Amino acid sequence: MIVYILKRLAIAIPTLLLLIVLSFLLMHAAPGGPFTQERGLPPEVLANLNAKYGLDQPLWRQIVSYVWGIVSAFDFGPSFVYKDRSVNDIIAQGFPVTLTYGFLSFIVAVVVGVTLGTIAAVRHNTVIDYFAVGLSIGAQVLPNFVMAPILVLVFTLALHWLPGGGWRFNDPHFWVMPVIALSTSYMASIARIMRSSMLEVLTSNHIRTARAKGLSGLRIVLRHALKPALLPVISYLGPAFVAMITGSVIVDIYFSTGGIGKAFVDSALNRDYAVMMGITILVGALTILFNLVVDIIYGWIDPKIRY
Amino acid sequence: MVIDSQKMQSLAAATAREDIAGRSLWADARRRFLRNKAALFGLLLLVFVVLFALFGNSLARWSNDEIDFSVMGQAAELGGPSLETGHYFGTDDLGRDLFARTVQGTQISLAVGIIGSAIAVVVGTLWGATAGYFGGRIDNIMMRTVDILLAIPYMFVLILLLVMYGRSITMLFAGVGLISWLEMSRIVRGQTLSLKNRDYIEAARAIGVPARTIIRRHILPNLIGVVTVFATLLVPNMILTESFISFLGLGVQEPMTSLGALISEGSGTIAYGTLWQLAFPLLFFVTTLFGFFFVGDGLRDALDPKDR
Repeated sequence: MIVYILKRLAIAIPTLLLLIVLSFLLMHAAPGGPFTQERGLPPEVLANLNAKYGLDQPLWRQIVSYVWGIVSAFDFGPSFVYKDRSVNDIIAQGFPVTLTYGFLSFIVAVVVGVTLGTIAAVRHNTVIDYFAVGLSIGAQVLPNFVMAPILVLVFTLALHWLPGGGWRFNDPHFWVMPVIALSTSYMASIARIMRSSMLEVLTSNHIRTARAKGLSGLRIVLRHALKPALLPVISYLGPAFVAMITGSVIVDIYFSTGGIGKAFVDSALNRDYAVMMGITILVGALTILFNLVVDIIYGWIDPKIRY
Repeated sequence: MVIDSQKMQSLAAATAREDIAGRSLWADARRRFLRNKAALFGLLLLVFVVLFALFGNSLARWSNDEIDFSVMGQAAELGGPSLETGHYFGTDDLGRDLFARTVQGTQISLAVGIIGSAIAVVVGTLWGATAGYFGGRIDNIMMRTVDILLAIPYMFVLILLLVMYGRSITMLFAGVGLISWLEMSRIVRGQTLSLKNRDYIEAARAIGVPARTIIRRHILPNLIGVVTVFATLLVPNMILTESFISFLGLGVQEPMTSLGALISEGSGTIAYGTLWQLAFPLLFFVTTLFGFFFVGDGLRDALDPKDR
């Protein structure tokens, strides 16, 4: 197991380094520097600014010191637009919010999706099954940026139940709509995957044996069918996680939750490359970490995988 | 010995009929597809959306960037959908005709979806087939590259690209095409791995057919089923990606528009009672996605009867 984890890490670390170097080169090759303005700066000022941010150094020195800053001190450098804030400050401000609603959405999507899919499969071809299938097909065409305005329309403008935006850590009212908007389409996908894999597992030999032994239906599903049926769901969790982090951009914009997506879009509009790169790299690192965790869970659940 | 000529004729007719009635994989698949109600419904939706995108403009009485000054600024009161003013779907805040804009947005969204998917088909198939056919170290390097690229948070990188290199539709196509082929290449590789040990490939190799010809003549035709299904399901994903970008205001630029940009505009103004600005683009967005999902699912079921 340890060797397996180390092997995965051996791939993960170069991937992350590549991502850092790639985004650095992209930024470097972009037309116009970070200090390009409509009224050009005097050359002396520009030279001083470049010296302050280390942009006068040769490219490889810049990359090495950038990578070293991240690796040794988790330091993404200064923001190019806000003089008194570092990239770390900006990330630290938005990250807890994104993490909170992201985590909640993830839990909701997995728990509701798996439950719905399992029930649909167990009650195959009944009203419950059709309802679950209809719901998951319907939800698939409702991505976060479609769900968000619909939710506001219903719960804020028509019913006045929930605040239309903003974020408070101590008031769950503010959490509801971001979580629903973010989780719905992934919940639907998980339910569909779960249903079809559960249907397949329920016809397999070991389930028939369990039935022949006289086990109760519930016990068969929970003890014998759930684990193998979860495998395809687990391999979908990696992409789902990435998509949810990406969706935080929409949630932050539409609900003004002030998470990391907001920081990303703001920096995109300000051309604050340092912040954009910092967030991209952070999200990349999270993705890689998460995929690693998923791989480990997969290896633990699936007896066919040998390390 | 007398041969019953009548029976012989009947037999001949039967074998001949057998020959005609013998169904190829494709005829079989078509029959299954046509029996699938959801898939047919999806196809119908798609035909409707495509016709709307192609010929909608000839129905429109306004062009997509023309401003109706009698409505401008009073969209909530005067800009509603009506047949008399010629704004079938109403207008936006500036008094631009939403019907013409929806037609144009549907065109862009469809184009992005189909082009992104087409890039995936070409690049992904070649990449996956090459990696799978040659195997060994080449396979290892090629698929590791795909793994690494898949770990990159592509939406963030795409936004990075759009901001740094300017927002243009070419950039959007390039960005969407850059990422769409990764999953495709994985699936194609898997299929190629199982194809390459078949007897007819072995035979081709034995008589000295070069690898390129084997891939082109024997591997690629056998991949058509998988590739078609995946490409169909990829189109809505590409449309979603483009709409996501456009929703953020980083996609196509005015006066051009896309369904994502229209939904973004519409959802920004729902508080002012101009619901039609959200409803019509959303309707076409959802219809298009439904169509592609149903057709894709139907194709998969039709080509893979074991899965039913």
